[in-house]
Amino acid sequence: MSIKTAFLLASGLGATIWSGSAFAAGPTCPDGPIKLGAISTITGPADFSEVPKAAKAMYDAVNGAGGINGCKIDYEIADDKADPQVAAQAARDFIDNKNVVAMSGGASLLECAVNAPTYKRANVSSVHGLGVDPVCFNSPNISPVNVGPYTLTTAMGLFATNTLKAKNLCAMFIIIGGTQEAYKAGIARWEQLTGQKAKLVDLTVPITGDYTPFLIKARDAGCDAVISNAIEPGVVAWVKTADAQKITGVNWLFLSPGYTVEVAKTLADSKQPIYVGTEWEPYTEQNSPANKDWIAAMNSAKRPLTAFSQGGYLSAQAMLDVIKSIDGPVTRDSVNKALLAMKPVSYPLAGSPYVFGGGATHGPMQATKVMKLANGAWTVQTKDWVVVPTK
Amino acid sequence: MTAYFAAAVAGLAAGGAYALLGVCAVFTYRLVAVVNFVGAAIGAAGAFAFAMLAEQGLPLWLSALAGIIVGAAVGAAVGAIMTHWFAESPASTKAAVAVALLVGLAAVGLRITGGQHPHDFPSLIRGSAFRLAGVEVTTASVATLVLALVFTLAANLFLNRSHTGLQLRALSERPVAAELIGIPVHGLSLWVWGVGGAATAFALILIAPQRAPNFLALSLLVVPALAAALIGFFQNFWAALIGGIAMGVVEGLASVIPGLGEYRSAVPFLVILAVLLWSQRGARWDDAR
Repeated sequence: MSIKTAFLLASGLGATIWSGSAFAAGPTCPDGPIKLGAISTITGPADFSEVPKAAKAMYDAVNGAGGINGCKIDYEIADDKADPQVAAQAARDFIDNKNVVAMSGGASLLECAVNAPTYKRANVSSVHGLGVDPVCFNSPNISPVNVGPYTLTTAMGLFATNTLKAKNLCAMFIIIGGTQEAYKAGIARWEQLTGQKAKLVDLTVPITGDYTPFLIKARDAGCDAVISNAIEPGVVAWVKTADAQKITGVNWLFLSPGYTVEVAKTLADSKQPIYVGTEWEPYTEQNSPANKDWIAAMNSAKRPLTAFSQGGYLSAQAMLDVIKSIDGPVTRDSVNKALLAMKPVSYPLAGSPYVFGGGATHGPMQATKVMKLANGAWTVQTKDWVVVPTK
Repeated sequence: MTAYFAAAVAGLAAGGAYALLGVCAVFTYRLVAVVNFVGAAIGAAGAFAFAMLAEQGLPLWLSALAGIIVGAAVGAAVGAIMTHWFAESPASTKAAVAVALLVGLAAVGLRITGGQHPHDFPSLIRGSAFRLAGVEVTTASVATLVLALVFTLAANLFLNRSHTGLQLRALSERPVAAELIGIPVHGLSLWVWGVGGAATAFALILIAPQRAPNFLALSLLVVPALAAALIGFFQNFWAALIGGIAMGVVEGLASVIPGLGEYRSAVPFLVILAVLLWSQRGARWDDAR
């Protein structure tokens, strides 16, 4: 081998290494750890902290294993106390002072509604762990990993029509904040998909109070299935009132807030047919293969196995996958670019693939599994996902 | 028409609860001169103690007794704050303190009782008493109504016929003068708060099984209760009793009248407004000012 050939070979090798490092280096972090934030309602009327705490457990595990490509993740959780001003302040702090590259694992009663314009202005994206208010599903900058109450309304309606063969579906909703239009749209979507009309739509149900007049109204209207968005204590009051009124032959369909072990235990004596729609693979099914990785992650981080922790886990997983796909410095822009360009990713916990993409609104998750209450425990009613078709 | 009648009957359960708590509010006001915003929260503490003990497997009646004692204890504790620091404060200050205590007690209560996670409130009295217009009137609702009636009768008798009642009326109207003539002001006040707490706790133990079992929701039953008390101008037990029932019935009716349902929860406020306007009907601007 001549010196010339050797030189050529060496330079060729060098070029390969060089080009390799330029095109497959993975994410880098020249400015220190990758900063992510979550705004969540922790104190106040509700506690969603389990969502970001599960996300934190995931990021801690990644950091413990050396980070992504050597980059550590600095993940911080802020409590919005269900107070719009505090939520707005927290977002500004994350964006302006802490310079986060994105938001991940958020779960709040009102954060989307308050901060969506801020995220848009600052060009910050959020992979929400649990979208609650309608804006979470209506902003170009937010794409939650959960189905959300509005799509779940449609899904439960489809389950009632297709599986329970309900003929007279009724919807009785508690309307807080600006949720009325979103629930109406959820019902309209069911009507469009099935060609049926809801027998009764009552959007005046109080969040607390005596439900007797409403149950009588539903019974007298001839409803054979009623969808309600009551939260835990409301579900209990609703079913106990139905029992007290000796109502029979009505299927009661609730959304994911009703799906808790406490509700099942409290209503163990009820003979009413009670169904709930889940946001993800049913968390009470601890032997399900789809839950395996999530359970292992939560157990090693000593976090409880709740639906909320599934949301946090999934949101962190999606964010980690997005960051891993970046070549070069992880910045707000590069994360946005990666989110925009990402292909739908299937995770075992969810019935729909997750994607962010460039849409003006996002609602990638369109599938639920329905659980039925029997003898104080939830049992899976639909082995396969109930998917709301896009039409 | 039947739908309206059914809705009105359906409102009776709520009405009984409002009446019972309204009578308790009048009781506290007439005896210790405090608009008791914290009343239902005190009762909720007792009711939750009942549910949590019953969950531990304690017999129902024993849990109920313990719940009533907790209600009395929390009531006495609130009373101690009121009598120790605010005995001579004007009524508005006392009401503000009561609101502050409501916020505090509700926040602490929500945390202790697990926030939105429901507790199983067993029914002390089960089953339904009778069926009217297609609506089951539960034994618990009837018991609530009967209890409200008993409280009204007992409170009237106690205040108008007994020596202690007389002393207590003196205490609420002129606390300093009452103390000067040798009435044991502090002891009696604490006793009133304790009895009020016990009564409210018992009321809520009956009401809670059919309500959202959430500390804040039970505490906020004080709003319709105070509206009921206001119907009796915080003086008349009978008016509070009937007003409370009427409010429940109107709420029930509102849920079937199209276009009115959304404003259903405004019923107590409308009642308060109407009563205030009515009470001022004869007043000229200068007098009322």
